[in-house]
This record gives sequence, structure tokens and C-alpha cells, in this order.
Amino acid sequence: MLLDLNDYRNDMKRCARCSICKWPPLAQMKSWRFSQNCPAISRFNFHAYSGGGRMALGLALAEGKLDEADEELSNIVYRCTACGACDSSCKYNSELEVLWPIYATRARLVGAGCFREEHGPIIESLRREDNPLMKSKSERGRWAEGLDVKDLSKGGQAEVIYHAGCLYSFDPELSKVARETVTLLRSAGVEVGIRGAQESCCGSMAFQLGFQGEFIKFAESNIDDWNALGARKVVTSCACGFGIMKAVYPLLGKKMKFEVVHISQYLDELIREGKLQLSKKIPLRVTYHDPCNLGRKSEEYVPWKGTEKKVLGQLIVREPEKTVHRGWEGVYDPPRDVIRAVPGINFVEMERIREYAWCCGAGGGVKTTMDDFALWTAGERIAEAQSVGAEAIVTACSWCERNLRDAAAAQGKKMQVLDIVELVKQAR
Amino acid sequence: MQVIVCLKQILDPEMPSGSFHLDPNRKRAVPPPGTPPVLSPFDENALEAALRLKDGQGAKVIAVSLGDKLARAVVKKPLSAGADELVLLEDPEWEDLDHFASARVLAAAIRKIGEFDLILTGRQAADWDAGLVGSALAEELGLGCVTLARKIEVVKDKVRVERVAPDGYEVVEALRPCVVTVDSELGELRQITMPGIFAAKKKPIQEWKPADLKLASPAPARCELVDLYLPKRETVCEIIGGESPEEAALKLADKLLEKCPA
Ligand code: SF4
Ligand code: SF4
Repeated sequence: MLLDLNDYRNDMKRCARCSICKWPPLAQMKSWRFSQNCPAISRFNFHAYSGGGRMALGLALAEGKLDEADEELSNIVYRCTACGACDSSCKYNSELEVLWPIYATRARLVGAGCFREEHGPIIESLRREDNPLMKSKSERGRWAEGLDVKDLSKGGQAEVIYHAGCLYSFDPELSKVARETVTLLRSAGVEVGIRGAQESCCGSMAFQLGFQGEFIKFAESNIDDWNALGARKVVTSCACGFGIMKAVYPLLGKKMKFEVVHISQYLDELIREGKLQLSKKIPLRVTYHDPCNLGRKSEEYVPWKGTEKKVLGQLIVREPEKTVHRGWEGVYDPPRDVIRAVPGINFVEMERIREYAWCCGAGGGVKTTMDDFALWTAGERIAEAQSVGAEAIVTACSWCERNLRDAAAAQGKKMQVLDIVELVKQAR
Repeated sequence: MQVIVCLKQILDPEMPSGSFHLDPNRKRAVPPPGTPPVLSPFDENALEAALRLKDGQGAKVIAVSLGDKLARAVVKKPLSAGADELVLLEDPEWEDLDHFASARVLAAAIRKIGEFDLILTGRQAADWDAGLVGSALAEELGLGCVTLARKIEVVKDKVRVERVAPDGYEVVEALRPCVVTVDSELGELRQITMPGIFAAKKKPIQEWKPADLKLASPAPARCELVDLYLPKRETVCEIIGGESPEEAALKLADKLLEKCPA
């Protein structure tokens, strides 16, 4: 069992209600306009929606003071993209877990059957079709039709396996990115294999929504399959998949005989080694959006178990020492280095970046079930990109791309949204 | 035509085995975090049967669920799938009823609903797998009962059922109204859609308590749960070696004879 709310009772009790989780650290703020970090509190403006509010709520649930079946409770719990910005901000000067109690609160509600009805079809689709998008699994491998790539669903093994992920597989606009990824890897001399129709969801959506049981099934079967296929490297362009494979899969205690790599890291490596040369000039002013799951949420989570002692009447000392993941070890530089390697590009940073980046709004099931909230959040990011004069947002996650593109279209904003793979492909 | 479908909320029978544990004192399985309860899959087959009748010849479908602490997101699923009404029989007194007591409460609710042509249940609930409630319900209501349906048609005043048999199926006819229990061979419940969920929000839900059914005393239990435990599996492994395969085989034969003398 990964998520038990009781494991976080002490963290939830120690939350000082200081509200630091609602903002990036002061030293990181550059303007009042873009000084918030939590989409939920920024949009709904009521304490319960913030990281700290969610700690109070989780504690009340753990102590049996709240009725799980309350409709408004479920509204609050799920109007949150599980982006983890609150967690990184709180940990700027604390060691409290904030994001994992948020996950555990959801798992607690789900266990009691108090999930939202809209989540039912998503989970059902995962069970029947191995994807959360209500698409038929027989169509999963279609994105690769006609590509010169080894399809492992027809037999054979491969040291490098490309995991396209659900949205890149099924979204007609985004599946181009999956095709371009394979073409780029092949042209750099990488013998890559795909699982075609047998690829399945990474389980991230189930995990974020609190459906831990469903997540475990997907995670375990993916690990078994990749091991059996002889993988040494599993490469994905989906940041959500990458984040969950890096941060959560290792907690299942299964041997993973492969390394998990995000395409931005792989492209960076191939460019450095001279295996991919970028020669075409792209005179575009671009900025980079850090996907939460590639950045702060991709750090391996090490659950802490041990004893806590109070010294000098106030300081908590843990035995053994706790590994605190503050979001510092996320993947931040490789995508930026890839962008900088594009000839003629004009790269500018936004105000909220790296572990303090503003979420695109799609995470935690929000895009699928509360699109208006997702689009509002993305609109804020687009405004931030416009404020630094960017003509395009480059990012490295299918969900971020889908949501940012939808928001730009819905709000009539002139902003290109490019996958890092598309940018590299254009520069070849 | 009015079809009543009985659906039971159970622990997910497909939950990962590692998350399953028992409370030995209360003699029950403890729901793990992150694994929600579900409708018994066979009851979902029964709902699908009802919805096919509705699609084919038109029918009003009423779903009925019985228990305590019924999870709304779970028990409202029939409405999202296409059922027209939901009746929830929810009370602490109705937690963990045995099969016969469940049939008694369901029968009382069905009598209160009044009008019906057909009552459908799953062939068994996927928690205890007893397969008794359907037949016991027919007994309570004094109706005929056909079990293990894989196809149901209504022809004039009769119900024609293809009934699963070990080597194929048999065709059985029964007079309406009657109870039919449905097998998984009938097919999975259709996929729930977002428009289905939104449409369900306007559909009527009735919530009835023991007093509404005029059931004065708790139903007497006819089954007693004496113990509940996870079976212990012990594997003792002994490797029998030998210089050659023949020698190993001889040793193995001796060992077997020693353990189970002829
Ligand atoms: S979660 Fe952290 S930052 Fe937020 S109120 Fe609690 S202690 Fe303060
Ligand atoms: S996870 Fe993101 S949206 Fe949710 S409370 Fe924390 S900062 Fe806000």
C-alpha cells in the first residue's frame, strides 16, 4: 500500500497554516502579477483549496472529523491539479510533505467510494481499454503505422523502448510528435522499439485521482513487460509518464532492469554527442514551460519511516534522517539546453520557472473532468509567456501541450505551443 | 414494460492481492485506500440485459441497491448507464445481511414499487459467490425463477431465456412476471459516458428505510459467519538429486511411495 493518510498525520498536524504554500518563495518573485503558484487557491480563493488547507482537511478526515461522502469536500479535493507547487514552496524552509497527503486524501476518499462520478468512466476505460481516454485499445498503435520501427507487440526484444503514452498515441494532433520522436531517434542511430497496440497507460491518471489499486496493476505490468522485453532504457515524451515512473514506480519494490529517460534528456545527450545535428535557423522568441511531472514531481519519493524526537523543546529530529525532495532534482536543464542548441533561437525565461513553475492546469484529472478550470490555469501561463514577449511556448508534455493549445484557441491568444521534439525536428 | 434490476455494492474483486486484508475481530475485509467498492460484475450483466430490453422493445428500468454506506458514485452508475430510476435501501440495520434476509428486504421494496414485468439479478454477487439471492427473491415473491441467463427476450406474456449449460445453452420460457439471474456470458455493461452521467443527475432517486417498507424487525439471519481468514498456503520444497536422471527418478519414486503407500 502506497498511500495511507495516517502516515502523514504528523506532517498534517505540523502545518503551521502559514500560507507560504500559496506563493513562490519571496526571493523568487519577480512581479505581483505572476506571484502566485497554486492554481486552486488563485482560482477559488478559499483557504481549503491551498496546500495548507488540504493538510487541515486531510487531518480532519484522518481523525474522523469529516464526512467522506460530503459533495463539497469532493469538489475541494479534486479542484487541484496535484501540481506539487505547494509542496516545493512549503519545503523552501520546512520538511513537511504536502503533495503526498493530497494524494493520500484522494485515496482515502476513493477507498470509501467517495470519488466523483466523472472519474468512473476514466477508471472503467483504464480497465477495459488500458487508457483513460475512452479510446479503443485496438487503435493504440495506429500512430506508428508506416513508420520504420520495430513493433515489439509482434515479437522480439529491444534495449531502447519508446513509450508514447496515451495522449500522444490517441490525440490526432499530438501523435505527430510520437512519430517525429521515433524518426529522430532512428536518424540518430538509436535502435528503438515500440510496444504498438500492446503499450498501456503508465497509470499516472489513476494514481493522481487516488485510484491506487488500479495504478498498481498498470505499474506492475509495465515493469514486468519492459523487463521481459529486455529494455535497458525506457524513453518517453510524456512528462506525466516520466514523473510517475521515476517518482512512484520504484516504491512498488519490483526490480526495474531499465533506466527511465525523458526524451528531452535523450535529445540533449544525442546533440552533445554530435549524433543529432541542428542546422536550420529558427528565428523565434520562445520560452519554456516546465511540466510539473518532468520538473519537481519527477524526483524519486522516499517515504520516511522512523522516530521523531523533539529537542530543545521545539526542534524535530528524525531518526533515521529524512530524504527531503524539494523539487530541486527535477529535469530542468536538458530541455533548456536543447532549446539553446537550436540555431537562431531567442530563448527567454518566464517568471515562475523550475521547481516554482506555474502548472499548465491539466494535471490531476482536471483537464478531463473540469476543463474550464484547466483552461483558466493555462490562460495564466500564456499571459506570463506573453509578458516576456514570447511568440511560442516550448514544452515537453502531451497534457501541457493539449491544454495550452486549447486555451490559446479558446481565448483567442496568439501563441504557438511546440513540443520540444517538434522544435528539434524543425531545426534539422 | 417495467424491469427491476437488483445490484449489490461489493469490495472490488479485482483489487491487487497485496492490498487485501481482514479484520479478524469484526470478521470482515477491510476496504483498502485507493480501491473503491464496485457493483458486482454479474449484477452489471443483469443491468445490461435490462438496458438491451429497453433499447429493443422499450422498457422502464428501475435499479435497486441494498446495504449501508452505499457509495453514491458507485450505486448511481446504473442511472448513468441508462436506467430510469434508482431505489436505495440504505440503513445500518441492512449492513451485512445474509442472503435470505437480503431477499426479504428486496422483496418488500419490489412490492412497494408495485408494478413489474421482470426482475433481474446477477447470477451471484462476486463477494460471497453464493448465488442465492435471486432464487430466494423469487420464493419471497412467489414467482418463477430462471437462472444463468445469457440472453433474454420478452415474447408476449412470456420471457424466453437462453440459459447457460455446461455444454452450450438451453432455451427456457417462463411466464411474466418472473425473476431471471444473469450470467457474464450475456455481456459486459456498456461503457458509461460523460453525457450519460450528466443525464443521470436529473433522474429520480428514492431512498427507503425499514419503516418505509414496513419491516418492523430486522430480518432473521439464517447463515452465521463463524470465521473469516486468509487460507494459509505452505509450500515445502525438497530437491531430489541423483548422479543420473534414472537415479533421481528412482529416489523420487521411493519418496512418493514412502509418503503415500499403495
Ligand atoms: S502546507 Fe506548509 S506552507 Fe502551507 S500552510 Fe502548511 S506549513 Fe505553511
Ligand atoms: S497541488 Fe497545485 S493546485 Fe493542488 S494545492 Fe498544491 S499548488 Fe495548489
